[in-house]
Amino acid sequence: MKIAVCVKQVPDSETRINLAAPAAQLDQSGFTRILNPYDAYAVEEAVKIKEKGGEVEVTAITIGPETVKETLKKDCLAVGCDKAVIISDPGLDGADENAIATVLAAALKRETYDLILFGIKAIDGDSGQVGILVAEKLGLPHVSTITKLDLGEGTLTAHREIEGGKEVVEAPLPAVLTCQKGLNEPRLPSLPNIMKAGMKPQETLTCADLGIEVPANLVTFKMYSPPAPRGECKLVAADDPVAAAKELARLLNEEAKVI
Amino acid sequence: MPNIAVFIEQRDGALKKVAWQMISEARRLADSAGGEVWGVFLGPDAGPAGAEAAKYGADKVFSASDDVFTTYNSQAWGTALATFCQAQNPDLLMLGATAMGKDLAPTVAAKLGWGCVSDAVGLKYEGGFEIRRPIFAGKCFLDVAPASGGAVVAIRPNAFVPEEKAGPGAAETFDAGVAGLDLKAVVKSVEAAGGGKVELTEAEIIVSGGRGIKGPENYPLIEKLAESLGAAAGASRAIVDAGWVDYSHQVGQTGKTVGPNLYIACGISGAIQHLAGMSSSKCIVAINKDANAPIFKVADYGVVADLFDIVPPLTDEVGKIRS
Ligand SMILES: Cc1cc2nc3c(=O)[nH]c(=O)nc-3n(C[C@H](O)[C@H](O)[C@H](O)COP(=O)(O)OP(=O)(O)OC[C@H]3O[C@@H](n4cnc5c(N)ncnc54)[C@H](O)[C@@H]3O)c2cc1C
Ligand SMILES: Nc1ncnc2c1ncn2[C@@H]1O[C@H](COP(=O)(O)O)[C@@H](O)[C@H]1O
Repeated sequence: MKIAVCVKQVPDSETRINLAAPAAQLDQSGFTRILNPYDAYAVEEAVKIKEKGGEVEVTAITIGPETVKETLKKDCLAVGCDKAVIISDPGLDGADENAIATVLAAALKRETYDLILFGIKAIDGDSGQVGILVAEKLGLPHVSTITKLDLGEGTLTAHREIEGGKEVVEAPLPAVLTCQKGLNEPRLPSLPNIMKAGMKPQETLTCADLGIEVPANLVTFKMYSPPAPRGECKLVAADDPVAAAKELARLLNEEAKVI
Repeated sequence: MPNIAVFIEQRDGALKKVAWQMISEARRLADSAGGEVWGVFLGPDAGPAGAEAAKYGADKVFSASDDVFTTYNSQAWGTALATFCQAQNPDLLMLGATAMGKDLAPTVAAKLGWGCVSDAVGLKYEGGFEIRRPIFAGKCFLDVAPASGGAVVAIRPNAFVPEEKAGPGAAETFDAGVAGLDLKAVVKSVEAAGGGKVELTEAEIIVSGGRGIKGPENYPLIEKLAESLGAAAGASRAIVDAGWVDYSHQVGQTGKTVGPNLYIACGISGAIQHLAGMSSSKCIVAINKDANAPIFKVADYGVVADLFDIVPPLTDEVGKIRS
């Protein structure tokens, strides 16, 4: 069985965006970068399947600058992925979801994967599109936002999170899945495994190597702007809790008009 | 003059409110820029959806009925919406950014070769569409435009204000192109997590609890306040990871991004990852015993006190106001 996991390197969730005024570009050069937290669930699920036995090969695939290599080594190869494919092409700076999905689909077509795993969304762009777009481009079924996965003979059963509950979905393999928190508990890499990960095969490719042109964007990025500034906080005197509760309720009702 | 199609989502016949918010916004755009507003409905009984859509100003409501629209299916529903767009060629297809809408939007966009915009909160038309969406869980906003042709846009619930304004709502049916589809991924069953609770991403009011509640046995305090407000109950990641509440309650950069009219944070410090997910709320209340907690920096109203002293009487007070 062959499993592909598509992963993205993103700015750390601690990152502050210091944008004073609307700007055509967002300078992301100083940000600390980590593996997208949702992609860690995808990696862990692939590794768990491998650990159950049988002949399973897990390939981590990413599109990003050369600097993604450290993340791939530590958070993918060192926790159990067998090899890594890095697509690094300056033409893809500023690529939209469709362009990313087009390139990933081309990379995924180089082999026959039974299962292709994604995170539900990348925490920088917050799009939650790429996995589903890739499924459509490859003509494969997809199940998004999964919190449980069981594999059968050529089929899978997955739980898909919906409002106030879940759907139990069955699909034939090959299939595309997007992974949500709750699916598993991603492990941390050990130091010896990080050292050994450096020996695992890593391949760096461009769009030309994949036999495609840099795909066009379907969406144009126009302007980045900071959130509207918030006003002062009005503190309610709290010496008497019951009076404080009463005053707060009054303010929310009469002043803010939200209850 | 752009035509805007709005998907009216149903699950077991229940219609999602976000549809009326989207139709109202589309109506406002159409009234200033021209063009028509169309509702699109998939399911057995289009009557109620059509009537409701007309109330908010839809010009036409297109519907398709087929057995495959009884239970959600990405492939069939995605095919139906793509078939509709190919036939009617709207400039924009809007869906609610719900569990279903988030799954359908990229599916339909890929089938059409259209651009797709997730979780949008603003829409403008000046010769072309400009769509605003939060990125980095709301630390920043990005305006995007379809590069060419149409676009599929998922709209965050409660981003737009619904406004009744009667429209013709002419009922039409369409061929969804789903006959003979070989369905691959299929929903076998739907399990509800427990009845009647308000869903976070659709809630107009959210009450969230953090580590300040001290233990899982006290989460009902948060739920009771939520209930008295008709609100959804949320949580910080700290208490989700501690196993006190289910992940579906988590608000923040790796949970749900929300923007309700009122967000009440009880015993939550206001870590950057939490703030990211809720700072676009219209009114924020913080109840925290530490006056230096960062949550007060984004709050509109604050009470520096023990939440165990404030939350129960607050529950009573809002109960009185609302009854
Ligand atoms: C990659 C990553 C992703 C993350 N994603 C998220 C996310 O999506 N959402 C999220 O919430 N966090 C997220 N976090 C975690 C975040 O950094 C914080 O750890 C978390 O939000 C803290 O939760 P808390 O405010 O409940 O707890 P604490 O920070 O421990 O705060 C508890 C607060 O309760 C107050 N308090 C205590 N007792 C009382 C009392 N009796 N009455 C009133 N107040 C009281 C204290 O003064 C304190 O301010 C993420 C972290 C990482 C690294
Ligand atoms: N540059 C990329 N390289 C590889 N995988 C990606 C990339 N961008 C997104 N993905 C995958 O697609 C998922 C959803 O991303 P997005 O649609 O951008 O929110 C991520 O969780 C990754 O699994």
